[in-house]
Amino acid sequence: MKRYIGMRLVYLLITLFVITTATFFLMKQLPGTPFDEEKLNRLPVEERQLLYASYGLDQPVYVQYVRYLANVVQGDFGTSFTYKNMPVKDIIANRIGPSALIGLQAVVLGLSIGLILGIIAAYRHNSAWDYFTMFIAVLGVSVPNFVLAALLQYYVGLKWGLLPVAFWDSYENSILPSVALSVGVVAIIARFARNEMLEVLQQDYITTAKAKGLTNMAVVMRHAVRNSLIPVVTILGPIVVNLLTGSLVIENIFGVPGIGSLFVDSIKMNDYSTIMGITIFYSAFYVFIMLIVDMLYSVIDPRIRLASGGE
Amino acid sequence: MKKKWSTSLLCLLMLVSLVATGCNFSGDKGSGSAPGGTAPAADGQQAKKESVINLSFENEIKDLNQFSTSDNISFSVLNNVSEGLYRLDEKHEPQPALAKGVEVSPDGLTYTFTLRDGIKWSNGDPITAADFKFAWLGAMNPQTSKGGYAFILSDYIKGGAEYASGKGSADAVAIDAKDDKTLVVTLNQPTPYFLRLTTFILYFPLNEKFVTEKGADYALKPENMLYAGPYKLTSFDPASGATLVKNENYWDNANVKVEKINLKVIKEQSTALNAYKAGELDRVMLSSADVDTFKNDPEYTTDIEFRTNYIQFNTKGEGTSNLNIRKALQLAYDATILEQVILNNGSKAATGMIPVQMSGVDHKSFRDLQGDLIKADAAKAKEYWEQGVKELGKAPQLKLLVPDDSLSKDLGTFLQSEYKKNLGIDVTVETKTVKARNQQMDEGNYQFGVTGWGADYDDAMTYLDLWANHTPYRGNYENPKYDELIASAKKEVDETKRINMLLEAEKILLAEDAVVSPLFYRGNSFLQKPHVKNLIFHPYGSPVEYKYATVE
Repeated sequence: MKRYIGMRLVYLLITLFVITTATFFLMKQLPGTPFDEEKLNRLPVEERQLLYASYGLDQPVYVQYVRYLANVVQGDFGTSFTYKNMPVKDIIANRIGPSALIGLQAVVLGLSIGLILGIIAAYRHNSAWDYFTMFIAVLGVSVPNFVLAALLQYYVGLKWGLLPVAFWDSYENSILPSVALSVGVVAIIARFARNEMLEVLQQDYITTAKAKGLTNMAVVMRHAVRNSLIPVVTILGPIVVNLLTGSLVIENIFGVPGIGSLFVDSIKMNDYSTIMGITIFYSAFYVFIMLIVDMLYSVIDPRIRLASGGE
Repeated sequence: MKKKWSTSLLCLLMLVSLVATGCNFSGDKGSGSAPGGTAPAADGQQAKKESVINLSFENEIKDLNQFSTSDNISFSVLNNVSEGLYRLDEKHEPQPALAKGVEVSPDGLTYTFTLRDGIKWSNGDPITAADFKFAWLGAMNPQTSKGGYAFILSDYIKGGAEYASGKGSADAVAIDAKDDKTLVVTLNQPTPYFLRLTTFILYFPLNEKFVTEKGADYALKPENMLYAGPYKLTSFDPASGATLVKNENYWDNANVKVEKINLKVIKEQSTALNAYKAGELDRVMLSSADVDTFKNDPEYTTDIEFRTNYIQFNTKGEGTSNLNIRKALQLAYDATILEQVILNNGSKAATGMIPVQMSGVDHKSFRDLQGDLIKADAAKAKEYWEQGVKELGKAPQLKLLVPDDSLSKDLGTFLQSEYKKNLGIDVTVETKTVKARNQQMDEGNYQFGVTGWGADYDDAMTYLDLWANHTPYRGNYENPKYDELIASAKKEVDETKRINMLLEAEKILLAEDAVVSPLFYRGNSFLQKPHVKNLIFHPYGSPVEYKYATVE
């Protein structure tokens, strides 16, 4: 197990290196500069050159790349071009919190409701419950979350005044965005859980368990649920990464100072150091979550061994 | 087994609460917006008692460091937590602020400012002439000035241009802190709007000792700044907003009526409108789509900015190198349709480059003095077009470059259809990101493109100067007569003569040489709560004053 994790960590570093390199050179192909060109145009050529030089942008791209890599290895991700004096590290640290909070709440909410709905739907296959759940699932997948977000904001926030319309003043502000984000999760999880449950319920060992005289409830809870979780865990990885790294639309609608809008803006503004910082952060996070998911498999199903020889 | 699951659930919950503690909610307890339960009306009442104004920005507060800052939102904050020698009043005229007054030499070149007595930083240190010198030099120093805004000082102050381009030394810059109270500045040319310039953020003072001590952390947190203005920051997060409270050390503290200003970042216009309706905001900008709904509302207002959007012709571009073609393209669309149908937000159809309300001379605006330069005329446009085609030998294939925001795209479609209707030609609209648009224009790789310019100060020079630098972005325009007018206007001491030169220059640029074609002067539509009064928005430079505001 230890060796397996060690190997995975080595792969993680290689992956990160490849992603960093590719992003760096692609990013430099973006048209324009990280500055406001309309203002810059007003500056004499020498002053413009000085400005580029003060950021090292006058050097050839490969020199910039080597310098950047050397800095990153020392833990220095540079300062942002947009937030001119702020270290990229601090910006990411400030902005990931709100995104992670609403993302995590959305995952917890979506997972619990999704699982319950899915399991009930499978258990009461072809009943009204089943149809209701699938209706919700189709709705959840096909209605974009920003539509729901706008509705929640209008009714819960404005009409009924139950929760704040927007902003990021206190914990209450995180509820509506979390709910808006969670609906998609509910839909996906419910469908997966239902399908997988249905399959598992056809298995011989379920018949055996029933034959032993266990109640339906006990059969489902003890034997079926656990075995139907594996595909759910598989899709949970990308879902978690997706949600924890922020959603541009939801963040904008609710005024959440999250990382989703930061990433999109940094690309629009050619904020090189921020683009790189977030790319590295996202990829590291993604690879790490994937590792956790792989490890979870063996927890859920002990037959899955991560490395030859096992634990 | 069951235990295991409940343990992991517990872990998850703990993780959530851990994240929740680490995500810096910006609200300070017990004030500001009261979420939940409270009815909107009660919220408004409460706000009145504490004299709070809640406002929003449509983008992040990017940089509060005076040396490098360059965006309007940061300017809005800085203008209220600091102050220059002069400050713009309710009528957008400069009035003595940290300076008691000024003496200008007869040749208009030397300004001797005397500072007000008893002015103090928020930490109690006196504000001295040296603080201005330090700040101004820093804003020009290529090492610290990173916003591309150094020209707002270096264009005027003697020795500034050399210093800003890294060639001259700081000692050669003609800013002299004679003593604590006296600041003497020598200019390159007589600049009638120099006092207006001193109201601009980059002309504010900074305390050298404090700034040096904070180093790289300066202006990243409220406690890492010193305040000289009517307000000081108590909280600041670039992405969620800032809180301003009255600065008790401010010299005119007694005339600052509103205790506290809450500033929130909200990018989505519809969200801001909902927050306004819920009583969480006191003023909101309306999108064009919402204007019709609120046009007759008593809370509805509009304002106009000193920002002109226009078409830039590339005078070396294929087809657009021909004067008649350019004139045809200039006259073939009706900007009033643009104003009424597409913009519908308080913006005005443009008939010249210099925006309405920009100062001219003798209390007359520049626009009034000049009159309309460009007015749509389909018949004439057609004539010019045919003449141009004859000269070129064939009709040019035209491509209009527009940035990819939704307004500009609509604008592109509008121009396309007008050209089709009035000239019978098919113009291709090439949509690019702002960055790509800028690059293409910088490289001269365009025929004509939609762009705009916002004034840095209240004088026509802020616009007309741009076409004297002959860059591809400004259409590769080069006319010795035009350059001569701009150069002499910069030296002219007689105000009427100077304005006449600028009037002549605008006429050449638009009517004679047809280098640009005006689209609209940007305006905005708002809703503002009736209990908030005297919130002053300037059409240029430092965007907003909270100092004069009152809450009833």
